[in-house]
Amino acid sequence: MPAIVIDNGTGYTKLGYADNKEPQFIIPSVFNFLFFSAISIKENSRVGDQASRRLARGIDDLDFYIGDECLDSNGYSIKYPIRHGIVEDWDLMERFWEQCIFKYLRAEPEDHYFLLTEPPLNTPENREYTAEIMFESFNVPGLYIAVQAVLALTASWVSKSASQRSLTGTVIDSGDGVTHVIPVADGYVIGSCIKHIPIAGRNITYFIQNLLREREFGIPPEQSLETAKQIKERYSYICPDLAKEFKKYDLNPEKFIKRYKSFNNITKQPFEVDVGFERFLGPEIFFNPEISNPDFVTPLPDIVDECIQNCPIDVRRPLYKNIVLSGGSTMFKDFDRRLQRDIQRLATQRFKLSNSLTEGKIQPKPIEVQVVSHHAQRYAVWFGGSLLASTPEFYQVCHTKSQYEEFGPSICRHNPVFGAMT
Amino acid sequence: MILLQSPSRYLLQILSNRIQSLEKGVELDCQWVEFDDIRYHIQGSMKNPNVLLLSVSLPIPPPETVLFGGLPLGALEAIKAAYGVVAQILDPPRDGFNLTLKLNLAKLPPDEEHKHALLTKIASVREVVMGAPLRAVLKQLVTRTVSDLGKPVALVHRPNESFFLVPQADKVTVIFPMRFSDSIDTVLATSFLQEFVEARRTAGLNNAPPCLWSPSPPQELKEAFTEALSANAGFVSFVIFSRHVEGRKLDRTVWNLSTFHAYVNYHVKCSECFMHTRMRRQVESLIQALDRAKPDSAKAKRNSPSRSFKRMSLKDGNNSLGSRSWK
Repeated sequence: MPAIVIDNGTGYTKLGYADNKEPQFIIPSVFNFLFFSAISIKENSRVGDQASRRLARGIDDLDFYIGDECLDSNGYSIKYPIRHGIVEDWDLMERFWEQCIFKYLRAEPEDHYFLLTEPPLNTPENREYTAEIMFESFNVPGLYIAVQAVLALTASWVSKSASQRSLTGTVIDSGDGVTHVIPVADGYVIGSCIKHIPIAGRNITYFIQNLLREREFGIPPEQSLETAKQIKERYSYICPDLAKEFKKYDLNPEKFIKRYKSFNNITKQPFEVDVGFERFLGPEIFFNPEISNPDFVTPLPDIVDECIQNCPIDVRRPLYKNIVLSGGSTMFKDFDRRLQRDIQRLATQRFKLSNSLTEGKIQPKPIEVQVVSHHAQRYAVWFGGSLLASTPEFYQVCHTKSQYEEFGPSICRHNPVFGAMT
Repeated sequence: MILLQSPSRYLLQILSNRIQSLEKGVELDCQWVEFDDIRYHIQGSMKNPNVLLLSVSLPIPPPETVLFGGLPLGALEAIKAAYGVVAQILDPPRDGFNLTLKLNLAKLPPDEEHKHALLTKIASVREVVMGAPLRAVLKQLVTRTVSDLGKPVALVHRPNESFFLVPQADKVTVIFPMRFSDSIDTVLATSFLQEFVEARRTAGLNNAPPCLWSPSPPQELKEAFTEALSANAGFVSFVIFSRHVEGRKLDRTVWNLSTFHAYVNYHVKCSECFMHTRMRRQVESLIQALDRAKPDSAKAKRNSPSRSFKRMSLKDGNNSLGSRSWK
C-alpha cells in the first residue's frame, strides 16, 4: 500500500498518494459548520465559551464541509484551522483530516503510512498533538513529520545526478501570502537565519491590477482581480534588464504586446485588454520592490545573500551552490537565471573586496552560485514528500504505532534522520 | 458527511478536467487506492487525448467465493450495460490488474447533463464491478424469481474477507462478519453496531431494513462456511425486502451494502475524534481549575514592585532599620 502525503499549508492543502507526480487534491484549508452558527445564535449570552459549543449531541458533529465545498455552501460559518503555517485549532484540524482521509482520499488509515509536513520552527508540542491525533484516532501504522523546506530540497533531486544529492541548501519558498528564505544544513533548518519577505504572489497580482486600472477601461471592476491573476499566470516573465526591456517594447510593440480576451461574467460581453509592460513589471517587484511598496525596499537577491552570510561559515559555500525554488510564485520564466546572476554579482563583489583587503596574499576559490529550478516546482513540498515516501528508507525512519504505544507522543520530538549525530 | 459517496472523487476530477482541456492533451499517469481493497491506475497519452486506459485491481478473494476470470459474477455484463460504447474491455487486462477499460471520450453524449451523468457512472466503477453479483441477487428479489432458496452465497468485499447473502422467496438476508485489527476499534465498533440496531427500533425508521447484531454467527451460515466465521466485532445482518430495491433505490442499496465495512470504520474514527475533542476540553477545564487553586503567588509578584515605590515616612524607615538591626 502506498503512503499518504498531506501537506497542510496556510492557504491550500495538498494531499495524495506517494509515487505520483502531482497531488491528487489541492483544496483550500478552510472549514465550516452549520451547527456552530445555529447554536451560537442561541448561546449569544455565553460568547467565548467556544469549547462547549462544539459538543453538540448526536451526529451534528459530522455536519461540516472542508475545501471548495464550504466556500460554495451558504449558511455555514467559515474557519481557518491553520494560521501562518501553524495549526491553531486542533479540534478543527482533526476533523479536517477526517474528511481528507475518508471523503477525498477514500482510504482506510490503518493500512497507510502517513507523511505530514510542518513549517520550520514548529513547536514540539504541536508535533505531539499531531502524533496523538494520527495514532489515537486514525490508528495509522506509521507517521513521519517532515519540515517543508527539507522536502523542497528533496524535490530538487529530480534535476540532479545521484552524487550531487544533498540536504544542504537555501530554500526560497514563495506562495500566495509570504516569501521565506530558509537555509538548511544537512537536513537541519538553521532557524535563527530564516528571513521573511512581505512580497509574494498576491502582491504581484495587486500591482498588475493597479497598472491595468490606470490604463485599461474595458475591464468590469468585479473581474479586475481575476483578470490580473490570469495575466500574471499566462504572460508574465522576468527580464534581465529593465531599461533594455522597455526599449525592446517601444521598438517592436506588435511582437511583445499581447492581447488578453475574456467575457464579462454578467452581461456575457467580450472585452479585450492590451498586455504590455505588466508582463515583466509584475514579477520585477521581487528584484525592485520599491516600485510597488514604499516601505520595503530590499530586493530578494540581497536578502538571500544576507541570509547566507548570517549562517555558520562552514556551510556558506554549499548554501550558495544549492539555492532551491519552491511554490507557485517562483514559476516565472527566467526567475532562476535572474536570481543566480544577481546573487553571483553580490558574491563576486564581496570576494573582490576581500581580495583587495588581503592584497592578494591569500587566494581563495571563487564562490559558485547556483539556483536550481525543476518541473515540480509548484507543488515542490508535496512532490518532495511523495518522492521521499516512495523510497524503502522512508519506512525505517517513520515513527511506528508500536513505538508510540511504548513511549508515547514524545517520540515525535526526535527525528530519526539525525540519529547518526546523537 | 454521513454516508460515503459512490463516485470516486479523484476519478471524476480527472475525467472532467480531461474533457475540459481535450485539445491540450497532457500526459497522464496516476495510481491510487480506495478503502484499501481496490487499486486504480489511469493512463492517457499526448498523441491520442480522447483515449484513457483505466485499470482496476480487485481485492484478493477468500477461498469460499467464486470468481469468473478474476471478476465477480456478472461484472462484464454490468460494465457493458452501464457504459455502452464509451468503454471497451481489454482482454487480457494490464499486468497486476483484474480489469482494464479503454475509455473513448469522443463517444460521450454531446448533451451536458447526460455527459456528466455518464462520467459519474464511470467514476463509480467500483459500484458497478463489485456490486454486480449483489445487484443480480437483489434484482431477482424484485422480479420474484429467486433461485437456490436458502442456499448462502459468499461475496468478496475486502481482501480475504467476504460477506454472505441468504436469498429467500420474499427477502434476502445480508450477513457481515465484522473484523477490526485494533482492540479499541473493536470495542467501539461493537457498541456502534449495537447502537445501530437500537436506532432501527425508533418510530421514524419503520420502513428501513430490519437489522440484527449478534456476537455469534447466525444459524444460516453455521453449516455452510465454517472457516470464514471468526469475527471479533460480531455479525450484522440486514433483511432486504423488495421495497428496498425498487427502481432507483437499487443502486443506493447495492453501494451501501458493498461498502458497509468502510462506513462502520469511518464512524468509528469519527467517534474517536469526537471523544478526543471532549478529552481536550476536559483537560482544559482541569487546568483552569488548577490555576484557580494556585496560591496567590502571581498576585504577590505583581504587588512587589509597587511596594518598592511605597513612600516611606522617616519614622517607618527608622523602624524597619531598627527591626533589622535587632535581628
